[in-house]
Amino acid sequence: MNMKIFLANIAGYSPVKILLTIAVLAFLFLFPHFVENPYALHIMILLFLSTIMGESWNILGGYTGQYSVGHAAYFGTGAYITMMLMQYRQVPPWYGVWAGAAVVVVVALVIGSICFRLRGPYFVLASIAVAEIMRLSALNLKDITNGAEGILATEIPPLKIGATVVTDFLSKVPFYYTGLTFALLTIAVTYLVQHSKLGYYFQAIREDQDAAHSLGINLSLYKNISLVISAILTSLAGSFYAVYIGFIDPSTVFPLDISVQIVLICIIGGIGTIFGPVIGALVLVPLSEALRSNMIAEAIFKTGMVTEESGPGQFLKENLAHAHALIYGILVVIVILFMPDGVLGFMKKLLAKRMK
Amino acid sequence: MIIFFQSLISGILVGGVYALIGIGLTIIFGVMRIINFAHGDILMVGMYLTYGLFTLLGIDPFLSILITIPLMFLYGGFLQKVFINRVLNALPQNQILLTIGLGLIMSNTMMLIYTSDYKILTTPYSSSSLKILGLSISEPLAISFVITAVITAMLYWFLMKTDTGQAIRATAQNREAAQLMGINVKRMSIIAFGLGASLAGTAGALISPTYYIFPQIGSTFTLKAFVITVLGGMGSVVGATLGGIIIGVAESMGAVYISSGWKDVVVFVLFLLVLLFKPSGLMGKTRM
Repeated sequence: MNMKIFLANIAGYSPVKILLTIAVLAFLFLFPHFVENPYALHIMILLFLSTIMGESWNILGGYTGQYSVGHAAYFGTGAYITMMLMQYRQVPPWYGVWAGAAVVVVVALVIGSICFRLRGPYFVLASIAVAEIMRLSALNLKDITNGAEGILATEIPPLKIGATVVTDFLSKVPFYYTGLTFALLTIAVTYLVQHSKLGYYFQAIREDQDAAHSLGINLSLYKNISLVISAILTSLAGSFYAVYIGFIDPSTVFPLDISVQIVLICIIGGIGTIFGPVIGALVLVPLSEALRSNMIAEAIFKTGMVTEESGPGQFLKENLAHAHALIYGILVVIVILFMPDGVLGFMKKLLAKRMK
Repeated sequence: MIIFFQSLISGILVGGVYALIGIGLTIIFGVMRIINFAHGDILMVGMYLTYGLFTLLGIDPFLSILITIPLMFLYGGFLQKVFINRVLNALPQNQILLTIGLGLIMSNTMMLIYTSDYKILTTPYSSSSLKILGLSISEPLAISFVITAVITAMLYWFLMKTDTGQAIRATAQNREAAQLMGINVKRMSIIAFGLGASLAGTAGALISPTYYIFPQIGSTFTLKAFVITVLGGMGSVVGATLGGIIIGVAESMGAVYISSGWKDVVVFVLFLLVLLFKPSGLMGKTRM
């Protein structure tokens, strides 16, 4: 996109929108200066991570209409390459991330050349199968990946430019800014995709593959381009997750659950929209954290419906935390049945009704 | 050579149960054109039902299928009527996501009730084996294979000979034409999903003496069920039976001749090859 169109686009927005965007950005950049609570920062970092995951899937699933349920393959590959380089070759993660992305491009092209021959449900099944093969390989190639024991990060080297230390990654703040940068980057990429010729090709493929083909759009070329963009961003999420948590094993970065979670963030927020995945992350992360940290159970006790000492109370307290994924299931069923355009689409419809 | 026959036999025995799982999925797909991603989780519900009946009432797992079959049938019918029916005309991806969501609810609810600990259902015959022609055959696997064979035979008879069975096959062949012929398509859908669920649940009951029972076991079997049905040809009952046996044998041969860690990789590679080179499967398309 050239500068002229970009400026015209900016000019097309109302001042309120521009001011609002600046306000949100300022808030996000200043947040760690006002809030020092590590848990609040942790939640924000999880929000960024979910946004990156959802946003990157959105390019392939939302804009190009290829429902991959195997994005864990890219998430896990990024995570593994970055961690292996850091632990075994002492390569700092801010270089390792890009090495991870490069490997993921190769993986994505191999997977794409296999899976894009298939359509609809068969594509979904093939994408799952490939991700499972990756997981099982990570589990069995013990010499390279350390198998089921996983990789534990012992220390992260500080980020230096020249001789000056930019940050040492000892607190959560540097992770906050890294996450924020990656999240803004993925949103920017999505924006560019949506407003470019490339994006129109993607959307044409989503709407009707055969019609797009007859108009001269090279299906497998553009599907693969979409997959590569999506996979690179997903690998950034995986690498970021690995370095932030400091531990990975095949069952945390390669499982089917990760692939499903990535899709759900997008579906719940609103598919094929720039801010859908952001909304999805805003809905899912706080809810699942509230369950995980037993806040829901405590809230139920406060309402007095169940006392903490009673049998059911004890049960809730002990088990509700383990079932935080339950909320994903319930939400996705509600969204599919009652708001097929996601929370964002549902709110837009509601607003439109009000306006009338 | 004895190792070869040993693994062949155990592959076939496990394959029988796999066939049951695959037939359930293929019936659901045939009638509704929906890929049920909750299939493994329904199997998991069947496992826990068996476990519950065993620990609470002391009912033998193989006897308990008399209770499991009707209960799981009702459960499947309920799922169809309340959830699946609403998305029959929706986008395929939304159908897939709905069943994924239902599966998540099932596995996490089970985790709420039983926690995610591994449970073992120990029967007196759990680890005993029969000796036939110098081959040792696991007793619970042998019993479950016999039961599987009986159930599959009854299912064929039901689909081929009864009016309801023929109506189900007609719906699978052409939904609209079936409706024009006066078949209650909605009712057939409920019966089909009920059948699918009760087959998956029965498979869960049959393997519960030999497998660990835990809430997340579902996704493994969902994936296996896909592999089996795609291999046999989506919608084909004969294909699913064949596919189940082939996958069972491929797994046990892979475990013996390659390594137990890589046996699932063998299965998935086989799956991708079938998808790429013979997407209609061994038994062609949508024949039931």
